[in-house]
Amino acid sequence: MTDGMMAIAILLPVVAGFLILVIRNYFARGVVVVLTASVLIANSILFASKGPITYTPPAGFDWGTLITVLDYAILITYLVLGLKLRNRLVLIFAATQIIPLAYFEFVMKAHVEVKPAFVVDYLAVVMTLVICVIGSLICIYAIRYMRDHEEHAHLDKSRQSRFLFWLVLFLGAMNGLVFANNLVWLYFFWEVTTLCCFMLISHDKTQIALQNAARALWMNATGGTAFILAIIYLYTTQGGSSALSVQNIIGGGIHSAVMLVPVALLCYTGCTKAAQMPFQSWLLGAMVAPTPVSALLHSSTMVKAGVYLVIRLAPAYAGTYLSTAIAIVGGFTFLGTSALAISQTTGKRVLAYSTIANLGLIMACAGINTPLSIAAAILLIIFHAISKGLLFLCAGTIEHQIWSREIEDMEGLAAKAPLVTLITAVGMLSMFLPPFGMLLGKWIALEAAYKVPLAAIFFVLASALTMVFWTKWLGRLLQVMPKLGWPLEKLSPSYAVPLWTLFIGIFVIGFGIAPIYQDFIASATSNVIPGNNIIASGWASIVLAGSSTGQPAAAIQGSFPLWALYLVLGIALFLPMLFYGLKPTQLRPVYLCGEQTGGTDTDEWLAEADIKTKFILGGYYFQGTVGEKALNPWVNTVAIFLLAIMIGCGVISK
Amino acid sequence: MNQFITVIATIVLAPIVGGLLFGIDRRITARLQGRFGPPIMQPFYDFFKLLGKESIAVSKMQFVWIYSYLVLMIASLVCLVLQSDFLVLVFLLGFAGVSLVLGGFSTKSPYSHFGANRELLQILAYEPVLLLLAIGIYAQNGTFMVSTILSRQEPLLLSLWPLFIAVLYVLTIKMRKSPFDLATSHHAHQEIVKGITTEYSGSYLALYHLAEWYEIVLVLGVIVLFWANPIWIGLLIAFAAFLLELVVDNITARMTARWMVRLSWSVGLILGIINIAYLYIMKGVF
Amino acid sequence: MGLITKSRVKSPWIMHFDNSSCNGCDIEVLACLTPLYDVERFGIVNMGNPKHADVLLITGPVNRRTARVLRNLYDQVPSPKMVIAVGTCASSGGVFHNCYNVLGGVDKVIPVDIYIPGCAARPEAIIDGVVMALQNLTEQRRLWATCPHCKTEHEVVDQQWRI
Repeated sequence: MTDGMMAIAILLPVVAGFLILVIRNYFARGVVVVLTASVLIANSILFASKGPITYTPPAGFDWGTLITVLDYAILITYLVLGLKLRNRLVLIFAATQIIPLAYFEFVMKAHVEVKPAFVVDYLAVVMTLVICVIGSLICIYAIRYMRDHEEHAHLDKSRQSRFLFWLVLFLGAMNGLVFANNLVWLYFFWEVTTLCCFMLISHDKTQIALQNAARALWMNATGGTAFILAIIYLYTTQGGSSALSVQNIIGGGIHSAVMLVPVALLCYTGCTKAAQMPFQSWLLGAMVAPTPVSALLHSSTMVKAGVYLVIRLAPAYAGTYLSTAIAIVGGFTFLGTSALAISQTTGKRVLAYSTIANLGLIMACAGINTPLSIAAAILLIIFHAISKGLLFLCAGTIEHQIWSREIEDMEGLAAKAPLVTLITAVGMLSMFLPPFGMLLGKWIALEAAYKVPLAAIFFVLASALTMVFWTKWLGRLLQVMPKLGWPLEKLSPSYAVPLWTLFIGIFVIGFGIAPIYQDFIASATSNVIPGNNIIASGWASIVLAGSSTGQPAAAIQGSFPLWALYLVLGIALFLPMLFYGLKPTQLRPVYLCGEQTGGTDTDEWLAEADIKTKFILGGYYFQGTVGEKALNPWVNTVAIFLLAIMIGCGVISK
Repeated sequence: MNQFITVIATIVLAPIVGGLLFGIDRRITARLQGRFGPPIMQPFYDFFKLLGKESIAVSKMQFVWIYSYLVLMIASLVCLVLQSDFLVLVFLLGFAGVSLVLGGFSTKSPYSHFGANRELLQILAYEPVLLLLAIGIYAQNGTFMVSTILSRQEPLLLSLWPLFIAVLYVLTIKMRKSPFDLATSHHAHQEIVKGITTEYSGSYLALYHLAEWYEIVLVLGVIVLFWANPIWIGLLIAFAAFLLELVVDNITARMTARWMVRLSWSVGLILGIINIAYLYIMKGVF
Repeated sequence: MGLITKSRVKSPWIMHFDNSSCNGCDIEVLACLTPLYDVERFGIVNMGNPKHADVLLITGPVNRRTARVLRNLYDQVPSPKMVIAVGTCASSGGVFHNCYNVLGGVDKVIPVDIYIPGCAARPEAIIDGVVMALQNLTEQRRLWATCPHCKTEHEVVDQQWRI
């Protein structure tokens, strides 16, 4: 049974990917994707219901050697790519990986045998649910999206198969990554995701796509280098392959002087994968890729692998200076990228900066390292994956309706495409407002954050900044002329199904969070911080407010009934939207000093000499204050400094 | 049952108190300017007159957002009187502010657009201070619950006085008094007409004013928390702060939005950060 | 008096619009708002926005361009509304009444309730005019009724429908 489940989770996407690669027919390909998606989703739900399991592949096939061979294959591919693209940095960082790996393999003659090879605890279950459910929805979305994309670009030879191949293969690699207990195997899956990332960003094969893909590659390769060095360090100092088990790293031997160096290196790897500052430029550059790539890799899943690693290692560095340093690195990223997001005029870049910001928040929660903050981190992973995945899919749908990614071109979208605007609006509001899950996570994070007050201050400032750029963008979407009755637009099922599923998911999972919290997060947290009775302390934060019905004896930090917040939302927004109507006789023109040409829904006015002129509204971007040119020198310098301190804290190991 | 009665009483009485406060505001401002000024009941006359106006609009969503502003403001106030979590109060207040801004954005109107953007900058200016106040309360009490603030013997003002000064900035912004009356105010109409409320009229404008009454009660209520035992001192302090705002309004001119954000983020945040740093060092972590 | 009617009398918000006046009457209107005459004690506030206004204070004679603007602004004022023509020019065109571009007084474009003569009209006269307009309101010389054709409420002034 477990054999089958693990095979489906990791190997099925590979097989399906190769199948998709050879199929040329659009519908047949779509069917294969949908079938794979369904099986993956069902499988992940099976994992959820079964509970924690450990697994080692049967001894018949030498998986270890296969993985080592594939490792070299990937690294040699990097070298080849570096040569083809004439990119020195890619070559350097491929070399810095392949040389230590070869040293490890041939000189040290390391024999790595870790049992169990895969550990599926509740944290991994949460991650695989996110990967399989949201990832599959995005793959379904990609079926139609890539066809429209290629039609618009007037491509002669279809490359959709290649795109879907890498997309589906990636899901398998992610599953392997979150299940892996063997650090060397984890490294392999890590590199596969980096390779997929390169292949997908460079899909359009334009000059800028190749450049940005190369930048993503070398930045992630620095992380890979740190990974290899951590592996070698652990193997030599801790004596043998038992040190290369993740469970052993987090389970025992914390605070011993040598253990924190590899942990710090691994956290650095996580930072590069999650595009924390100063590495944010690769994620920004990755936005040139088609939207399913941005949705899957660069918001829901691959970048989550980075923070997943940091959370997974949290028990290893609990109570050390390294923990505080991680919190400050994450918090500063949260603040810096939230400020930068205000100045962006392209929708996807705003989403990218917001992603990095939220990843910074999650990493800071991991750094704060209390049961409550780890719970917040896991909640944020789930809700951010849903909301941000939805928003990227919306951005892609909008792009395919107005054929532009600029926010200024999206003005008045509520008139042209009401359904997509509604879904986008809910997606945006769910990122920063009560009662939605993201705010719940932020609330719990703020409650836990006082342990590292500097992080709390970063959270506070960044929360205020996030309100600005989301509201600004949503406002531009809503600006319409006085007119009633816009027709609902048609959406193809390949777009509509993922969009509406995620839309409903925001509410269902947001509202159902209490039982989910109890089942998954509480258990996931106790897996990450072993032996902690988080259920008592953390649960109180979302339990019903005790008024006359006895509060818990211990002082609760804060509590509020979640259902009450949803009720308020329903009364405030949904009631009037559904039941309030306007008659056409009630409409009046907007106030333009009386100069309009006539009628209510005109945006033309009579200028000098009675010339008909449209009035133009522009958004506020403040590029002089928070633009990239203004802020980047400062924030990048501080970020490098903080990252150096983080690694230094690992070295001094206290 | 008790809670239910408290909630109903708040929802009914708070706008009356808020309206009277606005009436007193206009009367005292008039006296400061050497004239008589309207009767104290004037805001209520305005309100009922607006209710009797013809219902015109520029978009359906206009009503949704302003109504949402009102409901969320009431929810935030209910959070305060039920002595619940202070952070949730701040978040609901933030949602209310965002609703108002989106209402301003709900049509393509130039003046509304300016007002909405400026209102957003106002939110950017005061939101960090309120969140820092929440953290300050946590630093002092070990919990975010308002109930613990009310049961403390030692008033918050003594340990959180820098944050109190920062909250006075918030009060100025919330009351839409100079120098921060940018988004919509009585006096900026030569600059941006009515800013964010330009396209609202009749009963929708009445809803906006009603929400403002709840808001003034809420913000003054937050100031009352600074001296909750005995509560009459807190009420006096809140009223004194209210009068201070009137004086500030009459001696300052309206400034720009950028200046407002800069001032609030420098002075307000530095005061807040010093306060929290001091508490962290003195009291440690709970 | 019902609550709403009393409130309407106690809180007339004005919007001042200048057609093409010499600004003499505008300055007098402004003077009303100063502490010397202090019309705010009657609840009168100058809103620059037709959607917020009850009373339109209009100065200056109407010309072809401002006729269009005035009509647009009048449409944006929600009922019940009152129009007060301040000054001789607004009442009848004044000294400009036979210029080639002047259409005449404000009542050539929108229905006027109160005319305040004067060149420039004195603040006391302006206040008097506004008070008279409020009296009209209480004495219900303005009527509201349902139009049999379009089934919505319109004003009936002197037995004529004003839409």
